[in-house]
Amino acid sequence: MTPDPGPPGRGLTPSERPTVPLTKEPGPSGHAGPEPDTMAQERGKGRRTHRPWSARRLPAALVAAVILVAAVAALADVVAVRAGRPSAAWRRHLTDALATRPVDDLWMVTGAAAAGAAGLWLIALALTPGLRHWLPLRSTADCPRLLASLNRDGAAGLLRDAALRVPGVGAARVRVRRHRVKARADVRFRDPRQVKDDLTAVLGEERDRLALAAPPRIVVRVRRRTG
Amino acid sequence: MIPRSVLNRTLLALAGLVLLGGGLLILFAGFDLYRRHGLGPPAGWPLTAPDDVLLGSADRARWSSQGWWWPAVIAALAVVALLALWWLLTQLNRRRPGALPVGGTPPREGVELRDSALSDAIETEAGALPEVRHAAVRITGRPAHPRTRVGLTLTAHGAPGATLGALCEGPLRTAHRSTGLDMPTEVRLKVARHPPHRTE
Repeated sequence: MTPDPGPPGRGLTPSERPTVPLTKEPGPSGHAGPEPDTMAQERGKGRRTHRPWSARRLPAALVAAVILVAAVAALADVVAVRAGRPSAAWRRHLTDALATRPVDDLWMVTGAAAAGAAGLWLIALALTPGLRHWLPLRSTADCPRLLASLNRDGAAGLLRDAALRVPGVGAARVRVRRHRVKARADVRFRDPRQVKDDLTAVLGEERDRLALAAPPRIVVRVRRRTG
Repeated sequence: MIPRSVLNRTLLALAGLVLLGGGLLILFAGFDLYRRHGLGPPAGWPLTAPDDVLLGSADRARWSSQGWWWPAVIAALAVVALLALWWLLTQLNRRRPGALPVGGTPPREGVELRDSALSDAIETEAGALPEVRHAAVRITGRPAHPRTRVGLTLTAHGAPGATLGALCEGPLRTAHRSTGLDMPTEVRLKVARHPPHRTE
């Protein structure tokens, strides 16, 4: 299952490049062999070129904190009851509700739907790579163990500056998504069609300078605005 | 040792499955889907009809009359709380190697490099690259398997491809040559915020 899934030939060449040149593996490769988690992850799960996988620290911390609070609260109350004190109000409310409301009660159905949705969300978090704001960069042949990414806002800023260098462009807005770059520009002078061609060329050049592993498509829209 | 990403993702998936399963169980019984679709849930299935309740009085009486019930509940809750605490703390601390063995393979006895010294060196050299405004370097991982994380902020004229090449040729190559460590490196590039401007 690992090596063959690659119907879109788009991302494959760069992902295979680092494995091919074993140029810089001098003698001391003894302990460097069985190591890399990220590389293994890239090979195993990441059929999208060099996408780094998030560690999911924040969701994990939130879920752990919720479980911790619930468990400690329940524990404290159970122990208090065992020690002869009356149980807390929240626990009596909760057990009453759970013991009297049938499962087709509105509250129960709403709660169950919310729990199911949260469950789906957590499963999605567990299975997807995340880090959607980071665009993976092509790895350089010299540093095969380098995994680099550029954030989308940064890419958008560089592309916008490139767009503003085209003569005739008064203002430009660039939105970078993972597979498409949308640029909208106001044309102050010159023929809009010519400006659009120039913009496409300049943005394509700038995109190549970004060295993205999966270069996004560029869509340019121009609007004439004088005044 | 399991990498933190794998651990987190496994536990998140587990929590998600529990929530989803519980929710579906209630929804199936609440909308009476078993009867409507002629599904016979197996014997002992917890919730089957819309007028079932989660905590039946029979269940409560059966369990809480057992002598071992409350001690077992307390033990289970304590274990859950401890595991959750451990999981939470795993997110907070970032493992750092402390000292790195250097001097070739096998590493020479008594020769060690502080991780902060190495990261400072890489940081200084990376920060001096053209078009790099700010560099932050951290060494993570275990001493046997250190990894480098580099965060770079480029100036508005930066070219990520070229900068990456320079980083690879310069600071990272120096670090590799001087320590003998071939560390996996993760680089995050940002571009300094700036108002729209046309240069050149």
